Order: sequence, then structure tokens, then C-alpha cells
Amino acid sequence: MNESEIIQKLKQGNEKAFRELVEKYQGMVVNTCFGMVHNTEDSEDIAQEVFIEVYRSIENFRADSKLSTWLYRIAVNRSLNFIRDNKRKKWAQSIEDVLKGKKVQLNKFESGNSQNPDSKLEDKQRAEMLHQAIDSLSENQRIAFTLNKYEDLSYKEISEVMELTVSSVESLIHRAKINLQKKLFKCYKKKCI
Amino acid sequence: MKCKTLHKKIIFFLEEELPADEMEQMKYHLSVCNDCNAFAEEMAKMLAVLQTEKAPSVNPFFYTRLKAKIENLSNSKIRYNKNPFFVKILQPALFSVLLIAGIYSGIKIGQPISDRTSYYVDSEQEIIPYLNEMKNETIELFLME
Ligand SMILES: [Zn+2]
Repeated sequence: MNESEIIQKLKQGNEKAFRELVEKYQGMVVNTCFGMVHNTEDSEDIAQEVFIEVYRSIENFRADSKLSTWLYRIAVNRSLNFIRDNKRKKWAQSIEDVLKGKKVQLNKFESGNSQNPDSKLEDKQRAEMLHQAIDSLSENQRIAFTLNKYEDLSYKEISEVMELTVSSVESLIHRAKINLQKKLFKCYKKKCI
Repeated sequence: MKCKTLHKKIIFFLEEELPADEMEQMKYHLSVCNDCNAFAEEMAKMLAVLQTEKAPSVNPFFYTRLKAKIENLSNSKIRYNKNPFFVKILQPALFSVLLIAGIYSGIKIGQPISDRTSYYVDSEQEIIPYLNEMKNETIELFLME
């Protein structure tokens, strides 16, 4: 089945077409969500929500954009919602911890162990640092950087997903890299790895 | 090139996005400056994390889980309003039972007293004289007590 056949059959409620769509795009959607939230389980849960939304709203899909563009858009929006909810929960949790007199955990970004010889642990710390640096980016920088780095999308493709001009995407990614560099340099100076 | 300049451009150097002459200057600085070289190496390792994280293997039960979720969602939606058994049989049956019960109790309430059993007649006769006596008792007598 090609893309327009899949869409047509999906609109008729064809289950086989839905399965084909999911199997074709699940890797792409999970990968995008992972780039945004950095957690395998969460990214799979969000990806499930993405396909449920597709299943429910395929009627609204207009053929003037690519199916993958639409899927990226839903994946990014769902991930952002997840991140916002998570921030709210974490904030509530930290308030609760303070009220209960628990010691607030130190930011791992600044308290890593530089003496540890275990390279696996170092890789884990590196990943954690990178994730924290990505998390500190603005929403748009984060989306553009994730689509570019995790999904290898071109600036043109990202501009279609984000509904921005190509030059805006270019500038978002440029600023994202500068910000990441700053964060990672600070961390390196503090010997957090 | 100063170390500071290198720090500001290292990510673009590692991604090979600098003009050729700047790439050469960076390379030269890295070959003579140990500190910058160590930093560049660490940055390269950090960015390599992105490559290792790309395209994770998806749970083989992804579709099965998804299908179950969708079925659950649609079941809970139609359970009460779209289930054909509920709509076509149970709902009319329930209304019919309520209607019949309503009509039956209406008839029972509306029936004249004479049709009822003697038990009701007796009890009403006992009450009536008592009520009649109440009528004879004037408000003055009541207040005098
Ligand atoms: Zn240097």
C-alpha cells in the first residue's frame, strides 16, 4: 500500500491499513519522542497516544501535507505536553519534599563523580548531562534540534513540521548548538565527568 | 587562535560546519594545545551519545498494546450508549416496566374507598368522630386550659 492508499483505507476504518501505518512509523515516532523526553518507557507511551490520536482524527487529515509531517507534529506536541505535565508534577513533588523536610537532591549535572573509572557509568553520565543540556533549551530550539539530530530531518523538513521558515529553523538550530556548547563547557570546567 | 575562540566554536568544528580556513586554524590549535584537545575529545564523546541513542528498538508488542488501548477506549465509550443490546432491548424494557408500574399505582390510588377492604373502612370510621369532636372545641376553650 502506498501512502494515499493507506490514508484512504484508514478513513474507511480498515484495521489492516492502521496496522501497516503503525508498523511503518512506530520507530520514527518512538525515536522522536525519545529525543524529546529521553526515556524509553515514556517515549513508547507517548507514541501510543500519538497513534490513538491518528486513529481518532484521520478524518481531519488533509492530503496537502505528508503523513510523516503530520505524525512528527503530533509526536512533538504530545511530547511537549508530557514534559509540561512532568514539570508540574516534579514541582509539586519538590514542594512536598521541602514540606516534609526531605533533602532536595543535588543536580546531577553539577555533582557527577569525576573519579569513577567505569566507562559505562561515564557514558551514562554523559548521556544524562547531554539530556539536561537539551532540556535547558527553549521549546522551539529543542524541537528543531531533536528532529535534526535524532531523525536526521533537513531544515526544510523541520520547517514543514514546525510551520516556520527554513531560515528560522536554521537560526533555532544554530542557537541550540551554541547553548548546548555553553552548558557542556561549564560542566566540563566543573569536572562533572 | 585563542582558547576562548575555540571553545565558542568547538561544536561547529566537530560537526564540520566551519569554513575551510577556520577548520584548519582549529585543527592547528588542537594539535598544540592539550587543554583544548582534551575538551574537544570530551565534547566529541558527548555528541556521540546522540548517535548511540538514535533509532531505539521498539517493543515487539507495541501494536498489540496499542490495539488493546484503542479497544478499551471505544468499549468504555459505547458501553452505555451505543451497545445494541442495551439500546434496543434493555432500555425499552426498562421504560415499559416503569410505565406499567406507574399506571398500576395510579389506578390503585384513584380507586374509591368503598372498593377497598373493610380494614380501611373501619379505621376511617374511628378517626372521623374524633376529628368531629375537635371541631366542637373552640379556640377560647383551648386557650383557657
Ligand atoms: Zn587552547
